[in-house]
Amino acid sequence: MAKIELNLSLNRVEGDLEIAVELEDGVVSQARTVGTLYRGFEQIMLGRAPRDGLVITPRVCGICGTAHLYSAVLALEQAWQLPVPPNAVRIRNLCLIAEGIQNDLRQTFLFFTPDFCNPRYIDRPWFAELMDAFEPFRGSVYRQTLALSRKAVEIVAQFGGQWPHSSYMLPGGVTTPPDLRRIIACRAVLDEIQRWYEQTVIGAGLDDWLALDSADAYFSWLETPAHAASALGLLSRSARGLGLQRMAAGTPHMLSYGAWCDPEQPQDRLVPGGFFDGDSGQIAPLDQRMINEHVRHSWFKPYPGGLHPSNGETIPDFQPNSDRYTWAKAPRYGDRAVQTGPLAELLIGGDALIESLHALEGGNAWLRQFARVRRIAYELVCARRMLDELSVDFSQPHIFNPGKSAEVDGEGFGLIMAARGALGHWVKIKDGAIARYQIVTPTAWNASPRDSNGLPGHWEQSLVGVAVQDPEDPIEIGHIIRSHDPCLVCTVHMLDTGKKRHFAP
Amino acid sequence: MATLFWLQTGACGGESLTILSAEAPSLEHLLSDCGIDMLWHPSLSHQPMRQHDELYRSIVVGEQALDILCVEGSIVTAPRGTGLYDSYRGTAKMDMVRELAQRAGVVVAMGTCAAFGGVHAAAPNPGDCVGLQFDRDRPGGLLPPEWRSRRGLPVVNVAGCPAHPHTMTQTLAGLAAGWSLPLDELNRPQAFFNTVVHQGCTRNEYHEYDIEELEPGGRACLFFNLGCQGPMTQAVCNSDLWNGVSSKTRAGVPCFGCTSPNFPRDADLFATPKVGEIPVQLPLGVERSRYMAYKNLARAAAPARVRNKEMDV
Ligand code: SF4
Repeated sequence: MAKIELNLSLNRVEGDLEIAVELEDGVVSQARTVGTLYRGFEQIMLGRAPRDGLVITPRVCGICGTAHLYSAVLALEQAWQLPVPPNAVRIRNLCLIAEGIQNDLRQTFLFFTPDFCNPRYIDRPWFAELMDAFEPFRGSVYRQTLALSRKAVEIVAQFGGQWPHSSYMLPGGVTTPPDLRRIIACRAVLDEIQRWYEQTVIGAGLDDWLALDSADAYFSWLETPAHAASALGLLSRSARGLGLQRMAAGTPHMLSYGAWCDPEQPQDRLVPGGFFDGDSGQIAPLDQRMINEHVRHSWFKPYPGGLHPSNGETIPDFQPNSDRYTWAKAPRYGDRAVQTGPLAELLIGGDALIESLHALEGGNAWLRQFARVRRIAYELVCARRMLDELSVDFSQPHIFNPGKSAEVDGEGFGLIMAARGALGHWVKIKDGAIARYQIVTPTAWNASPRDSNGLPGHWEQSLVGVAVQDPEDPIEIGHIIRSHDPCLVCTVHMLDTGKKRHFAP
Repeated sequence: MATLFWLQTGACGGESLTILSAEAPSLEHLLSDCGIDMLWHPSLSHQPMRQHDELYRSIVVGEQALDILCVEGSIVTAPRGTGLYDSYRGTAKMDMVRELAQRAGVVVAMGTCAAFGGVHAAAPNPGDCVGLQFDRDRPGGLLPPEWRSRRGLPVVNVAGCPAHPHTMTQTLAGLAAGWSLPLDELNRPQAFFNTVVHQGCTRNEYHEYDIEELEPGGRACLFFNLGCQGPMTQAVCNSDLWNGVSSKTRAGVPCFGCTSPNFPRDADLFATPKVGEIPVQLPLGVERSRYMAYKNLARAAAPARVRNKEMDV
C-alpha cells in the first residue's frame, strides 16, 4: 500500500490555512487543517470601551466586516437591553445582503470556477464553453462578476459610507436614515444585479427559479437550453461531470443561526435557523448554550473539554512540535462537529429544492456551491422587500439613542448568518469596559481541528475518502475546500513533495 | 511591463477586497493597460501553488526580476521575534518579506497594517506586530529607517484601513509608469495624503458654524463629541468617494483616523477627549485660542437652517 503525506498550503482572508493529508493508494485517509496565523483580536478587545468592538471586530475579516459589525451590535444591544427601530433593522439587513451578494458572486466565479479551467480538463466536452465564461480575467462571466460585485457593495456605501470596514450600526440603530435618493440608488443597483442574475447566472426569471421544488424538476430544467447555457447550468454540468455531487459530504450535521432579523420582531429571523441533526434528519431549534469550543489540538493554553464562548479563553500557547497543530479552535454544537454555510442556511430554512437534492444525494461539494448561487435569489427578494418597506415612510426613526446611562455592565451575544455561515460574538462588560470577548466565525466551524474527543472537524471529514489523481496537482482537494467558501483568499495551494511535516494523531 | 508580487502577512484581506472596488483605474485596467504584470496575487491567482513557490524562489535568487512588491497585513514578529505566529509552511512570513524586499524595485505597504502595524498592533499587541518600516509612528519596523529598495525608495506607505481603492491603484499605476512619487514624512505618497478627510465632508457647514451632534444618527458635525478625526486625518475619503458613493463621515460615522500610524487610538473611539469644553486635539495646524474665538463667533452667526439641522447631508 503506497502511503504519501502531502502538505497543502491554503491562504485566506481570515488567517492562513494549510492542510496536511495522508494518501493511501491515492485516497485521502486522514486530513488535518492547520490555521497558520494568530492575530489575537480577542485580546485586543479587553479593557476597551464596549463600542470599540464596532470598529475593531469588522477588521477581523475583509470580506464580511458588515456581518461582524452586525453580530457585535446585537451583542451590545442584548447586554444593554436596547430596542431598535424597524427601519434600522431593515437597513442592517439590506447592507448584510449586499455584502452577501458580493461574496456569493465572487466566491463562485472568482474563486470556485477557475479550478475548472485547469488544463487537466481540456478534453471534457464543456471545456471550451467553460473557458469563454470562467477563464480568470478573460471569461465573460468572470469579468461581469468583477463589475457586478463592485456594484453590489455600493448599497453598503449608501448607508455605511464605504465598504469594507465601516461602523454604521450602533447600539439602538444605524447612523443614516433612508431617504429618496438613497433608496432609489439602491433600487437601481438591485435591478441591475437581478437582471444579470436572471439572464446570465440562472437563465430564467426569479419567480420560476424559486418555484423549482424538486430534484427531478431541476434535472430536467438543467436540460433546457437557457439554463444549460447559463453560468449556473455550466457550473452544474461541469461539476457533476466531475462527480462533485458524490464528493465530500463531511459531517452530516448542520448549523444555521437564521438569516436576517425580522424588522418588527428583531429576536426572530426571516429565514429560520436551527440545528439539522444529520443522523435523524430532524431540525431542532437553536440553543446557543449547546455551543462550546475545544482547544485540545490547538495552540492555546489547554483546558479540559469545551468551554461555552461566554466563558471562553484564548491564551496563545504555541507548541509547533506536538500533537497540537493549528491556531483554529474546535467549536462543537452539543459535542457534534457541524458544517455551516448557504447549504445549511437553505436546508434548515426550508428551501424545497435544496431539501430534495439533499435527500437524494446528501451534502456534497456541488450542492454546497449550488446552494450559494441559489441563495442569491433569496437575497434579491429580501433586499427588495427591505427597500419597499423602507420607502413607505422615510420619517420613521432609524436610531433610538440609548444614552450613556443605558451602558451598564452585563453580558450579551449576537448571532447572525454571515455569507459563509453561522457567526457569533459573545461579550462581557464589567466596570464599563470589555472584560471578555469571544468570536466564533463560520470558518471556525468548517475548518475546525480535532476536539478533545479526537473528533475531526468538517473539512477534515470531507476530505477523507477523496481520490487524488495526481498528488503533484491535487486539484480535487481544491474543488472540495473551495466549495466551502473558506474565505476570499483561500486559494488551495498545492505543494509538491519536498518539505513534509508529519502531524502525529 | 512592471512585475508585481503580492504577499499577505497578518491581514484580514481588506486591501485585496477593496482594490476590486477601484474604477479609475480598476484592477483589470491596471493589468491590461497600465503596464502591470501580476506575477502572483494570493486571492486571484489560479495557478497551482507550485508556481507561487517557484516564483518566490526565482525572485529571491535573482532569476526573476521583481519591480513592485506589495505587502498587505501587519508583520507578525511573535513569539520572541521568530515570526512563527504567521508562517508559510514552517517559514515565518516575516522572513519571506525581508528576502523579497531586498530584490524589489519598490516595496509598497498596502494598508495601515503593513505601513504601521495597524489594528493587530493595538495594545496589548499579542502578535508583536509592526509595520514594514514603521512601528506605529516610530521609524523602523521590520526594516531599518535607512533601508532603501533597488529604486532607492523607502517603503511606500499606502495607508488606510483599508487603503482607499484609488490610492492603491493610482499609486501602482504611477509606479509602473516609472514616475517619481513624492512622499510625506510618513512615506505616504503625497498626492493622496495632502488633503484631510474633513475637506469635502458634507457636514462641513455644520462644523463651520459649530453645530455639533451629541449623539449618533444626526445630520451635524461629529467632531466635538463623537470622536471624528476628520480634521486631523490625511486621506482622500471625501474628495474621491468610496465605492463612487460616499464616505464614513458623510454617512454619520466618525472618521477614526485609519490612515494614521496610531490607528486605532487607545481611547474610546466614539468619544472626543476634551479639557472642559475644548477638544484636546484641534484641526491640523489650528491655534487653540483663535479657534475658540472663531467658533464662538461662528455659532452666533449660524443661520437657522443650520442651527435647526434642517439641511440634509
Ligand atoms: S464630521 Fe468630521 S470630517 Fe465631517 S465636518 Fe465634522 S469634523 Fe469634519
